[in-house]
Amino acid sequence: MAAVTFTNITKRYKDGPKAVDDLNLQIADGEFMVLVGPSGCGKSTALRMIAGLEEISDGTLAIGERVVNDVPPGDRDIAMVFQNYALYPHMTVRQNIGFALEVAKVKKDEINRRVDDAAEMLGLTEYLDRLPKALSGGQRQRVAMGRAIVRSPQVFLMDEPLSNLDAKLRVQMRSDIIQLQARLGTTMVYVTHDQVEAMTMGHRVAVMRKGVLQQVAPPQELYLRPANLFVAAFIGSPAMNLVTADVTVEGDDVFCSFGGHRLRISPKALDRYPGLRGRHGTKVILGIRPEHFAMEEDLELPADQVLTFRCELAEAMGAEVHIHAVIDVAPPTVDGAPTTAEDDPEALVTGTKVIARVDGIHTVAMGQDVRLAVKTHLTHFFDPTSGEPLR
Amino acid sequence: MIGIVAGVVSMLLASRTGDDELPVAIKLFMQVFSIVVTVAHLVAAYGVFRGIRRARTVSLITNYLLFVVAAAALLHQLGAFTAIGKFGTGLNKAFLPFLVIVVGLLWVLVAGQLRAKNPLAPGPNGLRKAGWGLAALAGVWFVIASDPSGMLSTIADRITQPVTIGTLLVAVGAALATRFMWQRRVAVHFGTTAAEEQTLSGLAFLSPNLIGFMFFFAGPLLFSLVVSFFEWKTTGTGRSFVGIDNYVRALSLDVSSADAANAGNEVLKPGYQVLMHMDWFGQNWVLGARDVEFWLSLRNITIFLVLAVPASVLPALVLSSILASRLPGMRVFRAIYFVPSVAGVIGVAIIWGQLFQSTVGWINYLILRTGEILPFVDPPAEGHPWLSSNSTALLSMVVVFAWMNFGFNTVLYLAGHQSIPKELYEAADIDGANVWQVFRKITVPQLRNTTFYVLITTSILALQLFDIVWILSTPEPGGPNNATTTPVLALYEEAFQGNDQGYASALAWVLFLIIFGFTFAQFRQQKDGATSGGVS
Amino acid sequence: MSVKRKGPKATAIRVLTYVVLVAVAAIVIFPFVVAVSTSFKRPTDIFTYPPSLVPKQDVTVPADQVGTDGDPVPVFTFPGRDDRPGEWALVDADAPLAEFRPLDDLERIIVLDAAAGERTGATITIDGEEEDVFLVDDGGTQVEAYRSRLTSGGLFVSVDDPDTSVLDLVNFATPSKEFGPRFENFSEVLAERDPETNGKGVGRSLTNTVLVTILVVLGQIITSILGGYAFARVQFRGRSTVFLMYLGSVMIPFVVLIIPLFQLMLQLNWRDNLVALIIPFTFTAYGTFLMRQFFLGIPAEIEEAALLDGASRSTILWKVMVPLARPAIATLATFGFLYAWNSFFWPLVIINSGNPDNAVLSLTLSTLGGRSSTDTNLVFAGAILAMTPPILVFLFAQRYFVENSASSGLK
Repeated sequence: MAAVTFTNITKRYKDGPKAVDDLNLQIADGEFMVLVGPSGCGKSTALRMIAGLEEISDGTLAIGERVVNDVPPGDRDIAMVFQNYALYPHMTVRQNIGFALEVAKVKKDEINRRVDDAAEMLGLTEYLDRLPKALSGGQRQRVAMGRAIVRSPQVFLMDEPLSNLDAKLRVQMRSDIIQLQARLGTTMVYVTHDQVEAMTMGHRVAVMRKGVLQQVAPPQELYLRPANLFVAAFIGSPAMNLVTADVTVEGDDVFCSFGGHRLRISPKALDRYPGLRGRHGTKVILGIRPEHFAMEEDLELPADQVLTFRCELAEAMGAEVHIHAVIDVAPPTVDGAPTTAEDDPEALVTGTKVIARVDGIHTVAMGQDVRLAVKTHLTHFFDPTSGEPLR
Repeated sequence: MIGIVAGVVSMLLASRTGDDELPVAIKLFMQVFSIVVTVAHLVAAYGVFRGIRRARTVSLITNYLLFVVAAAALLHQLGAFTAIGKFGTGLNKAFLPFLVIVVGLLWVLVAGQLRAKNPLAPGPNGLRKAGWGLAALAGVWFVIASDPSGMLSTIADRITQPVTIGTLLVAVGAALATRFMWQRRVAVHFGTTAAEEQTLSGLAFLSPNLIGFMFFFAGPLLFSLVVSFFEWKTTGTGRSFVGIDNYVRALSLDVSSADAANAGNEVLKPGYQVLMHMDWFGQNWVLGARDVEFWLSLRNITIFLVLAVPASVLPALVLSSILASRLPGMRVFRAIYFVPSVAGVIGVAIIWGQLFQSTVGWINYLILRTGEILPFVDPPAEGHPWLSSNSTALLSMVVVFAWMNFGFNTVLYLAGHQSIPKELYEAADIDGANVWQVFRKITVPQLRNTTFYVLITTSILALQLFDIVWILSTPEPGGPNNATTTPVLALYEEAFQGNDQGYASALAWVLFLIIFGFTFAQFRQQKDGATSGGVS
Repeated sequence: MSVKRKGPKATAIRVLTYVVLVAVAAIVIFPFVVAVSTSFKRPTDIFTYPPSLVPKQDVTVPADQVGTDGDPVPVFTFPGRDDRPGEWALVDADAPLAEFRPLDDLERIIVLDAAAGERTGATITIDGEEEDVFLVDDGGTQVEAYRSRLTSGGLFVSVDDPDTSVLDLVNFATPSKEFGPRFENFSEVLAERDPETNGKGVGRSLTNTVLVTILVVLGQIITSILGGYAFARVQFRGRSTVFLMYLGSVMIPFVVLIIPLFQLMLQLNWRDNLVALIIPFTFTAYGTFLMRQFFLGIPAEIEEAALLDGASRSTILWKVMVPLARPAIATLATFGFLYAWNSFFWPLVIINSGNPDNAVLSLTLSTLGGRSSTDTNLVFAGAILAMTPPILVFLFAQRYFVENSASSGLK
């Protein structure tokens, strides 16, 4: 078990662009850290730097107390599960799992014992003598994990291990991995592009974008107090609705106007975002999570916190209904992150798409007008230029 | 600290240059090498002492090279290399146990294959063990039968000579130094980066390959170029720098007018001999060259090229189109056609020599029988002497060459066929094209790149024609009357039967330039004419 | 051309296709058939006209069957002579006999024993020469004849009726032949060089060639694996430069190198030794490329996983990459084998032609079968021996490639 420390880590490519830009990150001993972000954000590169598979251009990387910049991968006492599992095709499951021990010249009975233990932990005992090509995707993934476990390393690394599995298997494996890490207590660094995985699995989550660390915090923190617009838009599914609005401050009340709607902001919001007060007459970006909406009749809120939308599409999900609407305002853009709904930025609609989640008991028809109450005390506010939260 | 000591020790040992049993060039090389190594070791020792990072690299490389050279020299001293050759005798005596070993190892191999597919079946494992056992037993039998006593006594003799012992010590010292420097903790001590470590490791892997490449290819190549500027006698010690004289001699031509139609050497410049007679505008001309044989060989090889390459390529093109279809049995035909390419030139040439035999050869016989069946074929009364007639000797060799190579080219074309998209054929089908049109308008253009490659490789082979000529030409190689002399043959004779290897080297380079030029011209033609086809 | 069509036209095309293919195959196979048949023939059989594909041997009968003793006696027939039906054994090829011409028909010849005929005492002048007149037995009747020639010929005894015998010149009879391959061709050609036993020493060349080929193939495999791995997977400075050099080396025809290599062999004292055929050829640019190409195709993650498992590069190479590279290694081995087994030019240069102990097959064959060749049947036996292994290796290997391309199981 050991901590992993990135200090001013940069990786530069030959032609200039930086894959990782001045990363400072401290992963505690025994922690489950998730690195998440869109493709190309540098998370895999950072992971591979821990493994020693990528060269570090600047900065120091330490595992435990040891600076490992120039230590070869085999000497770092870490184990990695690859996205494509990288099993040795010509070796049986037993040989695959035991390979590292064989290399370390461990005695044969000891190898067998540890392989058997790992196999039992992962439910692979009956497959020990099969070749990888005779296994299913999920089984191969477990073999890859077995290979990592059996070495009792100081750090586990996982590079999008679940992305090649089908949805149901993915959910199951997620919980298996969480329990495994809890049981073994080894430091785990986990890379994924799926923010649902990130939120459910990590003790802490590090959000990266274009090589720069955006925010590292426990999942709830990311959800409740995103450090910038990107994090806010990235975390949450369906994504947070972002709307450009004009601010009017009338005495103690703050109003936001957008696309023909006018919304009074609850004073509690101002406690979280005091910077809003000084924004009279300017534009801000409003961040309303879909779950911050409710049908008017389900929530007792004054009328100036209720908006009327025309329902463009209603998705009945069972426990809830997703109501899609359009606000007549140009959508703000956030590179690399969905703004509203997981849709393409080239949408032909020139308005801002909004999704609201309401209790499933309601039946909403397309084209119907709905009155939605907004929990403005939970709303987020960002500066439209810098993306900074107005705190 | 130990590293420094080891380095210094090796350095001292390396200063010995007293090898007086080796021939000149090697001795020179060793002396130069020893000096370089000594200097490098001094530098390295200094660097090691001061803990400079690069010192480790220098030390490693130096010691490694020293080890390689010393080990090679040691083996040379022990006669290990020539012993490999002499081992032929041993193998000859002990061939039967050798075959048994092979059978045993084959069992192991087959078992390995089976095991890869199914790791647990008991059969392959047993087979494997049996194979090893058999091989081991046969190995013992082999050693007994091959009687290595001669070899052992030679080694025993030589091992006691001081030079040998010295070389041995140097080799061992260098090896230890290398091993020591390579270790992880030394690398850490010097702060070697991961990138540097990779470089060293990469070079280490490449080294056997690279050393062989340098020593047996790059070195000789440069040497050949150098030699071509000398008059270099094979035996004896005549060696004088002549600049480009060799090249000039090879390529000189002279034209002069003559009175008679068959004028002799007297009308040409001194040193020139008659190459051929020409008749332009009613005037007799004589073309002369200083190296008539070489120019004749160029003439021959051009004729050969023009005939043999199409003969080897066109059938391949047509046949491959047939074989590319999914009709049953195509693989069998493909394998059959390929066999002449692998059977070995000498055997093939001997067989064809017999077929071309004028009196009892099958070719003449078959022509005769065909003449009986088909009225318009009119064979000569007696068999035509294919190989000893000026006009047909080269032609016969074209036949042999084409026979040998068309199968290989067919396979190359088949590979090219794989990349023609099916849709093109289907579209043509819908458009109602017939077989011939499809072939001309789709298959051939799509195979452009393959054709280019096939033409080049076949041409290069054709330009280097030697083996077939050596076996088949009568009454002496290149005959009759230089009708089948080829450049490589001329080169060989010049180098090993004539006495001037400098001149022969020049010929070799001229030939190389011809081949290179030819390839280059083809390349340009391909590039200019290339347009990407109609498949997106 | 993968659409199957029906109809008489399509069938006709298909038949024509097969005819063409078979015809070409026949052209390919025919020389080999001739070679095989010649390798089993008797020396006298090879230069018969018209040429035949079937090795023949003389028909014989046991000696005692025809009233004599010793070796089996060759059998002849007299085609076109109805008065001499059946088979006749040539019991004595040196029987003294005489040709008599009857005086009433000087064109006819009666062949009798040399001592036959009684002198009548009369003489007759033929072409200005005086000849004795004899009384000879002409099929039962006595005629007068003169003796035109004394020679020796064959005493033929009828196989069916050993009491009947005939005298005639041997070449008026046709030897009877039956199918008879001569296996001794092979043992003779393999036997050690010896003018007495007619051994040709191919056996020694065979073992030499085996030695050279095996060592070359092993050497090539090892250096190519090492080199290919270095080029494929290890990043080192100057890699592309060196690679370009290797690429360029392919363009240089071997012919340019023979002279300097020859000199090098002289310096190393490797001339006329098999070593010269082995060591310079243990590295190969083609082989290196082949292995490099293959290694590049193996997913990098497998190697990374092994690195993380603590394996050294060397361990990774031999324990992980090489087992996966079996098809490529097999290809390399096959081509290396074919190259080494069939090489001729360089051995010709470097091995003394007067030294049979160090020759390889191609050299021995060329000396045997060259311009001054005798014993063509033995030469062909040698040629068959030389050509069979590469053909077998090729046929075996190409099936193996096809099989193996499907079963790599890489994921």
